[in-house]
Amino acid sequence: MLTKHNENLLFHTFDVTLKPHIEDLLSLGKSAGADLIEVFLEKSDNISLLAEQDDISNVSPSFGIGAGIRVFLGKRDGFVSTNDLSKAGLLFALNQALGMLGLDIGSQNSETFDGLTDLKDFGMNKFNWLDNSPDLEESTLKLLTATKSLANKNKNLQVRKASYSRNWQEVLVAASDGVFARDIRLHQTVGINVIAQQDKNRSTSSRRYGSSGNPNDLRNWDIEKSAFDLNESAQKMLNAGYVEAGQMPVVLANKFGGVIFHEACGHLLETTQLERGTSPFHNSINKQIAHSCVSAVDEGFSNHAFGSLSMDDEGMEPQNTLLIENGILKKFLSDRAGSLRTGHPRTGSGRRQNFSFAAASRMRNTYIKQGNFTPEELIKSVDNGLYCKSMGGGSVGPTGQFNFSVEEGYLIKNGKLSKPVKGATLIGEAKEILPRISMCANDLDLAAGFCGSVSGSVNVTVGQPHIKVDSITVGGR
Amino acid sequence: MANSIYNQKNVLNTEILSNLLIKYSKESEIRKWDMGASSSKDISVQVQQGNAKQLKGSQRNSMTLRVWNSNNQVGITSTSDLTSEGIKKAMRGAIDASLFGNKKESPEFSPLAKAELKEIKSTISNTHSIDQLLSILKKAEKQLIDTHQSIDSVPYNGLNESYMERIYINSDGANRHMKLSQSSIYLYAKAEEKNKKPRSAGGIRINANLEKLDIESCITETSEKLISHLNYKSIETNKYLICFTPEAFLQLISAFSSMFNARSIIDGVSLMNEDSIGKQISVPNLNISDEGLHPENVGAFSFDGEGTPTQNIKLVKKGILSNLLHSEATARKFGVEPTGHAGLGAKVSVSPDWLVVSNSESELDKDESLSIKNTLKEYILIDELSAIHSGVKASQGSFSLPFDGWIVKDGKKTSIEAATVAGDILKVLNSIVKIEKEQIVTHQGISPYIWVDNMSITGEA
Repeated sequence: MLTKHNENLLFHTFDVTLKPHIEDLLSLGKSAGADLIEVFLEKSDNISLLAEQDDISNVSPSFGIGAGIRVFLGKRDGFVSTNDLSKAGLLFALNQALGMLGLDIGSQNSETFDGLTDLKDFGMNKFNWLDNSPDLEESTLKLLTATKSLANKNKNLQVRKASYSRNWQEVLVAASDGVFARDIRLHQTVGINVIAQQDKNRSTSSRRYGSSGNPNDLRNWDIEKSAFDLNESAQKMLNAGYVEAGQMPVVLANKFGGVIFHEACGHLLETTQLERGTSPFHNSINKQIAHSCVSAVDEGFSNHAFGSLSMDDEGMEPQNTLLIENGILKKFLSDRAGSLRTGHPRTGSGRRQNFSFAAASRMRNTYIKQGNFTPEELIKSVDNGLYCKSMGGGSVGPTGQFNFSVEEGYLIKNGKLSKPVKGATLIGEAKEILPRISMCANDLDLAAGFCGSVSGSVNVTVGQPHIKVDSITVGGR
Repeated sequence: MANSIYNQKNVLNTEILSNLLIKYSKESEIRKWDMGASSSKDISVQVQQGNAKQLKGSQRNSMTLRVWNSNNQVGITSTSDLTSEGIKKAMRGAIDASLFGNKKESPEFSPLAKAELKEIKSTISNTHSIDQLLSILKKAEKQLIDTHQSIDSVPYNGLNESYMERIYINSDGANRHMKLSQSSIYLYAKAEEKNKKPRSAGGIRINANLEKLDIESCITETSEKLISHLNYKSIETNKYLICFTPEAFLQLISAFSSMFNARSIIDGVSLMNEDSIGKQISVPNLNISDEGLHPENVGAFSFDGEGTPTQNIKLVKKGILSNLLHSEATARKFGVEPTGHAGLGAKVSVSPDWLVVSNSESELDKDESLSIKNTLKEYILIDELSAIHSGVKASQGSFSLPFDGWIVKDGKKTSIEAATVAGDILKVLNSIVKIEKEQIVTHQGISPYIWVDNMSITGEA
């Protein structure tokens, strides 16, 4: 820090040489009377790029360092984050976290600390990820190719944008229960969006793709396919009329259609919600909460999926967590604090945006499993309803009420897709909607997204096959 | 003070930062650069049923460095590593990025980066300990729960005290520095009655000084709102007369603030265009201004990301679009002066500070039958809009948003179970039937109650 005369960069290199120094910190915390102390160190190296029309309009590299120190005493915890990774800076942060719980480094008690285990190095084979990712020249060229491809699709695309972000993160987690683990993460996303205009009509359309642990992701991006898909959506919605509001059956497309499950149900299965007493499912383990056709999982394994992890932000390897099986609730997602406060075992779901947030139970790759119907059979089963081909964002309220917008929708008339409609919002309550998911198709697919909650914005995957909801409130005009 | 993580000294040392940047820029043959940095320290507490839940503290620093290369291309880098190594790395990163800078549109230094600043009376409050914050919040939680037997918890709550510091310096000698303190409390309570759905409501208060934070009114507001939501009903999908509370109207206007944003206009993502200044965009009794310097704006900084002094700007006057919000680059394009609403970047963003809505004298406001205090007509009172990030299409002008509110008949309020309001912002601005006189200060700006006729509501009845 620039306010200090002698800079100490000891904690700027995350490897096994840090072990004795972190053990010193943890010992101090234990001897002060803490039940558990966790140190999270982070370095980041990010780039975000934006191409607008035929120019690169923004190139923004950013670097970061920081630490989060969390102290538990009983069911309470104190958390302090800092950018100051000098030993003095970390000691200051530790003392602050202890002080929040009425503890003091100077005090002595009989609590012992057995030391850290050997370093579990999940980042060992990932050292070249950063170097193997596209450099600025390659990345900017790729984005300009994308905006040019969009220009070639249609002259009425008044605004054409392509963005890319590469987030590289190195983390080290050490805790007084012995956990000592390091990982390297690489997340890349590309987004494209357009505004189409014809006379006074305007439509906006966007797509986002993301991956984890794949330095070649941008190189392998199928620009032509994305541009075709985006332009087609924008053109269809250009002359769409407003949807008429009301209660109706809806068929939700696969991939990002899974945002309904993420928002309406997934968040309510995090122990973060149980702790607050706001989940309507708090005492529903082994009870029927959804239609029997619904089985759902949250996992951290799928190859290169945006929400996949080698370890969570508390140093635990992820699991394949079966949340719902044939409509019956089986498990909650839990982190260290959630487990302590609710008794639900940890599932490798402790996640945080960065060092400035304490980890909390968060989703990873969450999806409804596929069923046996074809997507066409779902459409055929609806007389008058709505087909939601592409979803916008959504949110869930503190007591389970949710809403999300439909970016590209079509009316269903007599079992067939009819005219495009805009302005639709789906609203409902998790407990009431889950039993109304009556059909699941056989075309499960995943989509990348960002989820904002108590521990910041984290990378997640949502997903589902085409599903049919028998009745839901559609907001419109 | 016990457990305090603060001192009153400056964290960001302008002189050391400036000297390092001069040294590294000379080594790299960079003649033009500017830098914005910020530092914050804060503590926050959350409680649950009388116990401490989570206690948090942070000390954070960051800087954004911008350089101009010999071709006048701009590159930037941000970092939270404010060691000399971190700053050196940032300089290298910015120089690398400048090779890809947009040759068609380069930002320059603001012509006002050294202009005199308007004085903002920001006193730095005394610090408080975690124990003091906990004690205040525990008391507030208990007091709120005790107001009604059906209120069972306050699942979302927090009390925060923070100190912020911001600087802007450039190679031309500009040197800005400002500090402020801020405290906030939010209480979001839940209530449940037998055979009914759980209901929730919340309140928030912000002040520069924790000791002046109006916690009592936050408790009262949250409790009264929540109790009023206990008896709820579904409403029919239909067109209704709507009254927006000041909070809800400010939410709506903020969501469409790209109308007043010169950057959005240049980018083609605003409902307005370069010829819109001087055009009537709403009923003639509406005024909207952006007043970052308003004394009620607790988080006001006296300069923006480019060092331009913060200014109060009249955006809509008697329904006519009068001015836009500008950065240096957009102001240069429009032939005006920057307004103090810029961020710092290779492509500089523009955003409002503190919107203030008021009425102009007009025949429209003389309809005494419309008043939040004594209207007997049936109407929907919209208190708070939700899901703004997903339900607003700012470039198209349309919105479809869930809301918390009541249906009011003969002065009697009944909570609405679940509903959405949909419309087009320009139609809303031109369908305003009454702007009340009394302006209410909220945590996000100032506005009176605003009445709009014939709006689409989707209900579940």
